[in-house]
Amino acid sequence: MCASGAGLHPPLIIYGRVSSVSAYIFLRWVANMEIELQHIHKRFGRVHANNDISLKLHGGRIIGVLGENGAGKSTLMKILSGYQPADSGSILIDGQKAGYHGPQAAIAAGVGMLQQDPLDVPAFTVLENFLYGQPASMTRRAARSDLAKISHEFGFHLDPETPAARISIGQRQQLEIVRLLTLGVRTLILDEPTTGISAQQKTILFDALQALARDQGMTVLLVSHKLEDVIALCDEVVVLRAGCLVGERAMPATKAELVRLMFGQDIAPQERSAGSLGEIVLKLDSLTIQDRRVRVETLSLDVREGEVIGLAGLDGSGQEALMRACVGLTPVVGGNVVLKDRDLTRRSYRERMRAGLAFSAAGRLEEGLVAGLTLTEHMALMDSERTMIDWPGVRDITRRQIERYNVRGRAEDRIEMLSGGNQQRWLMALLPEQPRVMILEQPTRGLDVDSARWVWQLLLDRRAHGTAIIFNSPDLDEIVTYSDRIIVFFAGRFHLIEDASTATVEVLGHLIGGNFEEAAR
Amino acid sequence: MTDNRTPLRILLLIAPIVLSLAITAILVLAVGKNPLEVMTAIWEGAFRNSNAVAGVVNFWIPLTFACLGLVITFTAGLWNIGVEGQMMLGAVFASWAARTLTLPSPVLLPLEIVLAMLGGAFWGFLVGFLRVRLGVNEIFGGVALNALANVLVIYLISGPWQPPEGGSAQSTPPFPAESLLPEISSEFPVSLLALFLIVIIVAAVFLALRGTRWGLNLKATGKNPRSALLLGVPTTQSALSAFVICGAIAGIGGAYRVLFTFDSLRPLPSGGIGFLALLVVLVVANRALLAPIVGFVFAAILAGSTRLRVVLQLDQSLAEVLQGFVVLLVLMANGLRGRILGGPGAESSIQPEPQAQPTVTTAAEATTHE
Amino acid sequence: MRKLFFVVLVVALAVSMALPAVAQDEFVFGMVLVGPQNDRGWSQAHYEAGQYVEANLPGARMLVFESLNPADAPETTLLQVATEMVDQGAKLIITSSDAFEEDTDVVAEAFPDVVFINSSGDNAFTGEAPANVGNTMGQMEWGKLIAGCAAGLTTETGSIGYLGPLINGETRRLAASAYLGARYCYENYKGGDPADLTFTVTWIGFWFNIPGVTLDPTAEVNTFFDNGADVAMSGIDTPEVMTVAGQRAGRGEAVHGVAYDYAAGCDVSPEICLGSPYFNWGPSYLDIVSRVKDGTYTQEWTWFGPDWADLNNPDTSGVGFVVGDGLSEENAQHLDDFIASLAAFAADHPDENGIPTAIALWEGPLALQDGTVLAAEGEVVKPIEKDNPLTIWYLPQLLEGMVGASE
Ligand SMILES: Nc1ncnc2c1ncn2[C@@H]1O[C@H](COP(=O)(O)OP(=O)(O)OP(=O)(O)O)[C@@H](O)[C@H]1O
Ligand SMILES: [Mg+2]
Repeated sequence: MCASGAGLHPPLIIYGRVSSVSAYIFLRWVANMEIELQHIHKRFGRVHANNDISLKLHGGRIIGVLGENGAGKSTLMKILSGYQPADSGSILIDGQKAGYHGPQAAIAAGVGMLQQDPLDVPAFTVLENFLYGQPASMTRRAARSDLAKISHEFGFHLDPETPAARISIGQRQQLEIVRLLTLGVRTLILDEPTTGISAQQKTILFDALQALARDQGMTVLLVSHKLEDVIALCDEVVVLRAGCLVGERAMPATKAELVRLMFGQDIAPQERSAGSLGEIVLKLDSLTIQDRRVRVETLSLDVREGEVIGLAGLDGSGQEALMRACVGLTPVVGGNVVLKDRDLTRRSYRERMRAGLAFSAAGRLEEGLVAGLTLTEHMALMDSERTMIDWPGVRDITRRQIERYNVRGRAEDRIEMLSGGNQQRWLMALLPEQPRVMILEQPTRGLDVDSARWVWQLLLDRRAHGTAIIFNSPDLDEIVTYSDRIIVFFAGRFHLIEDASTATVEVLGHLIGGNFEEAAR
Repeated sequence: MTDNRTPLRILLLIAPIVLSLAITAILVLAVGKNPLEVMTAIWEGAFRNSNAVAGVVNFWIPLTFACLGLVITFTAGLWNIGVEGQMMLGAVFASWAARTLTLPSPVLLPLEIVLAMLGGAFWGFLVGFLRVRLGVNEIFGGVALNALANVLVIYLISGPWQPPEGGSAQSTPPFPAESLLPEISSEFPVSLLALFLIVIIVAAVFLALRGTRWGLNLKATGKNPRSALLLGVPTTQSALSAFVICGAIAGIGGAYRVLFTFDSLRPLPSGGIGFLALLVVLVVANRALLAPIVGFVFAAILAGSTRLRVVLQLDQSLAEVLQGFVVLLVLMANGLRGRILGGPGAESSIQPEPQAQPTVTTAAEATTHE
Repeated sequence: MRKLFFVVLVVALAVSMALPAVAQDEFVFGMVLVGPQNDRGWSQAHYEAGQYVEANLPGARMLVFESLNPADAPETTLLQVATEMVDQGAKLIITSSDAFEEDTDVVAEAFPDVVFINSSGDNAFTGEAPANVGNTMGQMEWGKLIAGCAAGLTTETGSIGYLGPLINGETRRLAASAYLGARYCYENYKGGDPADLTFTVTWIGFWFNIPGVTLDPTAEVNTFFDNGADVAMSGIDTPEVMTVAGQRAGRGEAVHGVAYDYAAGCDVSPEICLGSPYFNWGPSYLDIVSRVKDGTYTQEWTWFGPDWADLNNPDTSGVGFVVGDGLSEENAQHLDDFIASLAAFAADHPDENGIPTAIALWEGPLALQDGTVLAAEGEVVKPIEKDNPLTIWYLPQLLEGMVGASE
């Protein structure tokens, strides 16, 4: 049963500002969509992912959907957008019972969703992906002009002929939004849209969402763990915990208030922490790296034991290239990677791992975890020495790690059964105990505030034993809080901040825009 | 998971078989024959007496070897169409030993089997090498190597290994008796050695896939090679080894064809059994223990249909239709099971799972390892 | 699920018990075909011969099993098929291809009370076969002589291409017969110099096209024409020769083709078809089935021939030749004369015990490709003799004067 919420506020109905043009009012009146969820239940085996959720969603508003990892947010959103059927309960659209099955039908009914991971076809061009799902009568030409028009309206940058595989996650999102809008969607659901995108793209996205809600009367549902974003953007929030709806309130609210709503208690903000540095463990010697998107020239860096290096920059500016070059996933054009006097430049990924590097990718189910394997099987993969697998032993370790990382899932669950945040926790749980250097792409991607803190705690524990950490994050706060030194990237150029304690989010924000000269002055 | 859904599970297992029988019955009616007679003919053809059963078993044996090999490549996410060629190379290598070496049976037979495994493994390696080193899709590589294998067989039959009275491209001269696999009895002419090998290999494949790091590597590679690599799996090595091991096992199937079914090397000794095995593996996915069972049903339907054709003078394609429907409907039921029971197929409208149904495997693993 | 299968089939079994048994005066024989029964070639000829027996022998009933070969029916073997046929009451089983020669002997051992006839084989002649196995074959050599003559009469360039299947005694002697017919008619009716006649044999490697395995027959026929031949002869089971010749004639080239193995072989491209030699197994099978039914059949090896009085009589002639529309009026006249001369020769050399004693134009001087003398001036080549390779049946090489591989 659901515990009674921290404070169940009656839904506050505030209609959006009324535009002066009467025709526009008419349009809004036609277009505003009222959605009501009634007693939605969804179970996965013994997990009650959505437990009797009833909600009214009004048009013209941006509604934040909050809750800890595994609370049931994605599940609820998938039900609303037709990706999953509810076990019971109903969805009313404008008072009518909507009995749609499947995302196409939901889109036809006016509800469209951006998945946590974009679902486009990588081999197709932007235009082809855009055409997908459009009426067959639409010509390429018309599509091209629609695409251009809407992109322009929101300040999106989409080249129709680029393959989807080549554009950034942020652009893939933009593409999906444009596509859904042309399909006539009136309710837009975004599940953690800001996890993979740059600050700049985030600004563009938020402007677009605001325009859609305020000016066009659309309903926007935003699932996010970034409370700053929620505060900046949302008109009201709903909070889930363990499958239940535990709170609803109108904004504004402070971060602390939201945290209390979500976790039922206060969580202290993270303190800046400094560790003691040891010997040089990783030496990057005038490294020149070339990947598909960027070229980084002659970067040299000495990383010491126990040091944390944060990499900042817009998506694809060179920080990923650097991290991947360290582990041998991106080719090095020149220079050397030396780990404790051992030159690893020509070594394979596996050899580098054996030499003491550890790596976790940001792609989760695409790259990092293997959908279809259980948590135990993932753990068994980490022990590459034995021929026969000692299943009971591995299971014990798995259980321990589940407990330690507070993963909502069982050892025998397949990884894709976990919520996004719990998958991330498992990715972290798989990291070896004492590598010399850990290289982490967005280590807290999709984690709620509390687990992000906890995961960092565990990472910093390792640092105390001499492990160095190199990580990146779109969250500048995170970089400022945990780094000893910071490298800021812009289009392959880089700028080293020797003492991270002097850096602020504002300064970093400025730097990632490429204003290195100013900073030098 | 013992819940009220167990009956549903069973229903989803039986329904496709019943349904495919029903559809076939309708087809039979459509061509103006009696469906009961058809089913009877197939049943009698397969199980009338020990000799008929032996006919089924003799088809089942090479089929099962091919299936067991394919279970491995399937686990690694590879479509090893080249299994036909791997069987043929097994047949060729075994034939070489049978024609060339004069040794007592107890030495010669194991040697033939080992050589057949080497031959199949070699051909499997080529497919794998093309795939992992040169980026040639294993389907294209496999098709090409199948054709090449048959060219080799026909060249040998009509060239160097032709019978003294001149090549007719039909077969080599019969191999000496001591090089052929002995039969259990004339009432039940089946090779005991082959049955024994099947038991061993079923167990070996099952255990290797479930209990070894190698098997887990294959599974991870099959599901997501990119992630597997990051988790420390040597993915190219895994794929290559899957082809080699599959080829070795399928090679035994090829050897069985020439050392038992025939007594000589014939054109296309694999006879498309590898392709049939692909169908079987489509149904059983990576469950090695199921492969012999499903393979047996297929073998019974097909071998039984020999009688169907003689007795009712019906086209054999009827049996193939029946079998096609079984495969199709079983696959559909698998998808449905995923949907209804909330397995991996639940969201298949978005991202179809490459795996037919890992549910059962994982569940089995979870319980047996406790 | 197997339980259910079992239940269904047990019910079915019970029902089938009530079905009527084999009628009293019925004689059941099996016909095992290597290819499909409608292949417009070898297998269809046997299938139709079986139907002919059913039509002409009261009570005869045929059980057919088509496409018994590893590729089409890997699940079964001749032994299983024979078992099923015997189970259905078959007293005679015809295995209609040399592909079954070896297996027929093995299977026959298992059913000593059943007669097996392996068409085109010779194990009953050599004594390798068990007592219940017989062989039968047609004297296609005559048909090929006539076909060769039609080609020799028609060629203007003096160059003929012969598309052979695989290389063995049978295919060599048929190619050689075609050559002898062509050479004779080219010289005697057309007035050409036999030394100017080019007769090229290309072996594709099998009875029909298997992509990637055999040579491509279409390409090979085109090669003939590209290299100056204006008549192509088919020795394979499928009609590529006629198709290609028809296409090239359609583009205005003066080319012709000779079909093989099927009475309606000309239908593919009638206007350029010179004719089609074919087997007519019906009379031989009717004879064999009747004798097995009466219990008078004993092991034998027959090599049946044409009915010279009426070459295309379905009831009497075992080898026939259909004259094609592509043969000119004048040449048709010559061909008639040629056939008449063959008939006269045959009348002078009657068959003994169903085996020919001589075949026209197989007379000295003849030499093999390597120069070995096959027959000296005034000698005839023996059609068949045990352990004598220098006979027509076992012809070890192509003849001197022919172009093409012998092995
Ligand atoms: N396909 C599935 N099979 C089994 N369990 C599932 C499945 N999908 C979700 N769950 C479970 O349902 C619960 C809710 O998951 P959901 O993805 O909705 O969480 P969430 O609120 O989106 O979390 P996060 O913030 O981590 O993304 C989790 O415990 C998860 O393990
Ligand atoms: Mg989620």
